[in-house]
Amino acid sequence: MEYALLQAVILPLLLSPIAYIIGRKIGPTPAMWFTFGLLLYVTVLVILSALSGTTAEHYPWTAQFGEFGFLLDGLASPFAIIIYVLSTILVLYSKPYMIHRFHEQYEEERHEVVSSNGHSTIIESSSLSNYVNAKSGLYFALYLVFAMGMLGTVLSTNLIEFYVFFEIMLIPGFFLVALWGAGPRRKIGLMFLLWTHAGAVVLLLGFLMIGLTIGSFNFADIKESEIPHDILMLSAIAISIGLGVKLAVFMFHIWLPWVHGAAPTPISALLSPAMIGIGAYGIFRLIVEFLPHTFADLSIWFHIWGLVTMIYGGAMALMQDDIKRLLAYSSISQMGYILFGIGSMSVLGLSGAEMMYITHALGKGILFMMAGILIVKVGTRNISQLGGLAGKMPITAVCAVIGALTIMGVPPTSGFMGEWTLFYGALETAIKDGSTVRAVTFGLGLVATVLTMSYILWMLKRVFFGKLPQHLEHVKEGSWYMTAPMMVLAGFTIVLGIYPDIFFNQIIPYMSGVLGV
Amino acid sequence: MATEMLGFTFEVGAASAWLIWILPFVAALIIPGIGKFSKHATGYVAVGFALMSALSAASLLPMALEAHEVHDQISWIHSISLKAGVLADPLSVIMANVVGWISFLIMIYSTGYMKGDKSITRFWFWMMFFIGSMQLIVLSDNLLQVFFGWEGVGLASYALISFWYRDKKKDHVGTEGRTVLGLLDYYSPTHAGMKAFIMTKVGDVMMIAGMLLIFLFAGTFGFRELLHDATWATTMSSQGLLVPAFILLFGGAVGKSAQFPLNEWLLEAMTGPTAVSALIHAATMVKAGVFLVMRLAPLVFALSAAGILADQFFEIILLVGATTALLLGLQGMVNSEIKKVLAYSTGSQIGYMMMVLGIAGLSQQFVNGYTAGFFHLISHAMFKASLFMAAGSLLHVVGSRFMTDMGGLRKNMKKTYAFMWAAGLGLMGAPFITTGFWSKDSIFGAIYTSGHPWAIPIFAIAVLTAVITAFYTTRMLGLVFFGSKSKHIQKMEEEGHHIHEAPLSMWVPYGILAVLTIAIGLIGLSFEGGLHELFTNYLEGTFGIHSVHEIENSILPGFLDGINPVALIASLSAFAVGTGLGYVFYIGRWADPVKFVNSNIFFSGIHKVILNRFYLNAIVYWCFVVAPLWLSRGVFRYFEKTAIEYGMNDGVQKAVGWSARVIQGTQTGVTQSYLFVFGAGLLFVVLILLI
Repeated sequence: MEYALLQAVILPLLLSPIAYIIGRKIGPTPAMWFTFGLLLYVTVLVILSALSGTTAEHYPWTAQFGEFGFLLDGLASPFAIIIYVLSTILVLYSKPYMIHRFHEQYEEERHEVVSSNGHSTIIESSSLSNYVNAKSGLYFALYLVFAMGMLGTVLSTNLIEFYVFFEIMLIPGFFLVALWGAGPRRKIGLMFLLWTHAGAVVLLLGFLMIGLTIGSFNFADIKESEIPHDILMLSAIAISIGLGVKLAVFMFHIWLPWVHGAAPTPISALLSPAMIGIGAYGIFRLIVEFLPHTFADLSIWFHIWGLVTMIYGGAMALMQDDIKRLLAYSSISQMGYILFGIGSMSVLGLSGAEMMYITHALGKGILFMMAGILIVKVGTRNISQLGGLAGKMPITAVCAVIGALTIMGVPPTSGFMGEWTLFYGALETAIKDGSTVRAVTFGLGLVATVLTMSYILWMLKRVFFGKLPQHLEHVKEGSWYMTAPMMVLAGFTIVLGIYPDIFFNQIIPYMSGVLGV
Repeated sequence: MATEMLGFTFEVGAASAWLIWILPFVAALIIPGIGKFSKHATGYVAVGFALMSALSAASLLPMALEAHEVHDQISWIHSISLKAGVLADPLSVIMANVVGWISFLIMIYSTGYMKGDKSITRFWFWMMFFIGSMQLIVLSDNLLQVFFGWEGVGLASYALISFWYRDKKKDHVGTEGRTVLGLLDYYSPTHAGMKAFIMTKVGDVMMIAGMLLIFLFAGTFGFRELLHDATWATTMSSQGLLVPAFILLFGGAVGKSAQFPLNEWLLEAMTGPTAVSALIHAATMVKAGVFLVMRLAPLVFALSAAGILADQFFEIILLVGATTALLLGLQGMVNSEIKKVLAYSTGSQIGYMMMVLGIAGLSQQFVNGYTAGFFHLISHAMFKASLFMAAGSLLHVVGSRFMTDMGGLRKNMKKTYAFMWAAGLGLMGAPFITTGFWSKDSIFGAIYTSGHPWAIPIFAIAVLTAVITAFYTTRMLGLVFFGSKSKHIQKMEEEGHHIHEAPLSMWVPYGILAVLTIAIGLIGLSFEGGLHELFTNYLEGTFGIHSVHEIENSILPGFLDGINPVALIASLSAFAVGTGLGYVFYIGRWADPVKFVNSNIFFSGIHKVILNRFYLNAIVYWCFVVAPLWLSRGVFRYFEKTAIEYGMNDGVQKAVGWSARVIQGTQTGVTQSYLFVFGAGLLFVVLILLI
């Protein structure tokens, strides 16, 4: 298939105005199906390309930056597949959630109009549907660009291209949060933009250092050239910090609970598992693969940094009452796992880290969808006001439990496959190097899994079990648009947990190649 | 036995071995679908599949009794060349039969016990899921696959403990309002499930660390592969990692089998439906730890025979087992909730099994201890499942979990009364007629003749625990069936509730197990002899562990061949003393236990300490729940919310705003001040140049 990857990246961008027009002129449902169909098509393209092995496409770009290429190899394909599968599925979920949100906001804005004018404005009955149409058109258009930005990042073959896509996904992200977020949404949107942009700038500094030193930004050239040691170290640190902000590792995590808490839930479900994990992709590609010697020096710091993030995120998650913030802190903790795995510097450890990305995307995707259903159907996101909902929304509860098991790493969910390989990698390096520090971090990492389990189970208990409060007597199950996507992901995590070769077949050979084992 | 069908050649034995654990999972998959149409049908499906699974297990028995084995593998995770497989050797086949048949009986019992429950589909789903996972543990041929089953039973246990997730008052355990060291000793089902899952997870992470260590050196998780090429063990041993790895694996067993110090979850696990307690928290899941040790111990022992010493592994098992047996046995004496007494008893009896497996590895006669442990596992599974189910009947009829709310029930529930006595005698170890007697006696014998320096103190603990066991069992029977009817029952009868026998589907299963306890007990010695011979062959054939021929003791009469006289006297007197004391207080009621305890401060003090679970539970909560939460709260308030959020986020924002204002402040528009600053600057530059 020629141009498959190009289509996969460019089509959503090119056709996003059409999604806007359809939404505006016809309504949210056709816009949703259009977006869904488009994303489904490009997802299939990506999956087919991945099945046919490593795929690369090269297109000319400017002389200064080098080529504009796409590469789908053992590292990129799991990321690409997960990003697009999740994006496709969440389109369906978006419709009921966003319509609920538009209605809410419509009420809010109408209120504002009324109070600011001092006298009431008569609002025609049709204006609500116009409002919803316009907003949903905009939403799906932004959504397409957002998804495309994420995919472009993991497929790019050039530092500048990587940076461009890295920033492209920020812009729709900012608008999605600022327009339809919860709470002080504009402020939080800005916070998102500024923090991650600051990170991206540091990243760009690292890129420029490398690119200007060797005179090319192409990945292929970087791999082959010798970079002076001092520049190497400096640029590696800059890149790590830049990606660390995206990963929201400890000390750079401040933006994440706010943004993931406030973003509209389908976007949280994309941001949290898919987008922030791209930081991990960057580390794999840019540091592990391109700067292996520097990686060897840095790995222990990744390891420790990951461990601290795991424990810190978990401990903070214990303290949350807002369910989405709890999940956001949980994402921080899970990103710690990934960084921990990367720091293990062994084939299975790195493979486990990538598996953790996949598994976290599935598990956290489910849990955010659960939170969204609660917001729509119950109308609250405070855990203290919830309880005993398992009987009222059984499908949501079952899927949430499966998602929770995935995050906890309990077999037969894919979480276990990620976790044991990751910890095996950590142990392997600890024993091979005879390193006490690594042995201790391995042990503490295992303790962190108990912490993970504690906050997740406690959340489930407070949301779904126990006494049903009076005001929740009439809660109903979410619509099929909302539950079916959860069920798909829940099924997928179990299949993957029993048969991890689906992804391991690609990941493990790649990692062995990179580490030269 | 190879059969050809549709062009595929497969081993019949291997197929049955796979089916044993796959069938229950199939049932679990289809039950939710069936439940949509008919809740009633789900029960039949569950019982049917449980029966089929048990029959598959039975079909392997003839092969296993010949000490043969079936080992079948398929490719699993190809990219790291891991295989999945089943290993049906005598150990796993007998275990699979114990699990299969007891689950089948408990499933029948559940059709009566759970009748009319709204969430019955969920109940059957998790029961079948549990049976599948348990059989997966039993039949797996490698550690990774065992771990799948291991977490599966943990998950099922979590889901079933919290089965009544509405947290109604009647489903709690403990006494409302009672506190120990400032913490409530009163648990809701959802709390209890969570506690069980997290506490066993602590064991599980140890287990996974041990597994990974072994995998690192051996490159395989397979039990047989580990045995065939033992170079990994030499390497590990030279690095001093062999014993830690196995002790870590044993950590998993400690968690799952509720051994000290991870024992506290088992008591709260009693919030689950009684059928669950009988199946999971008495007969099968808590034995998974024992089973794991039985899987690993011969391997370790064979290694030590090859010169790689691993005595500490067995010593740890021995100490953990002995501590648990005594610690939990003592607590069984004072509790007033019938299920809790049985739960304490379960933990304590599993302690026996661990103890004797530990001593087996430390003695020359490995097979003695090994057989004794397994024999006790079988006999305990039978009588404890029976006792639990009978207790479930009592709860069902009386509607209270406290024994003080029962009393004098022997006339109303004659069958339950008889069966509980039979099974209870098994637990007490009534001489010559119960399986419990023979298995306990063989444990005593194995410990006494082990020749290990610790043998005598351990033996003393074992005997003391036997006395305690006999005492609390008699106490339980006395409180429930003897004496006058409690106020609770009188009130029920006044209100027109007729106290009656449980329905047929309920009493038949525990009747069968109670009768089996006696029936196998009557031929107990030859049963044990058969098991002993089987394991001698198995250990020799598979692991190369030879047993030393024993010189027969001829003091005893002929039918007691092979019995150690000291052990025999010890078990007889333990039974006599324990039961006698129990009789005095609770059946004959010649003395009032409450008065006796309160007679002096020493007794009442001990009573209080035991009743408060030796403060272990409270200490665990303070250290691992209260303290971490407190710490997290502190970090959240004083670091996350101040240093990070305020400092980094708002701080940067404020700093930018502030500097903007400062710069803005200089733009006064007053020419004089601009000139002044300009002049001052000029002066400064000139001065710098001059210097």
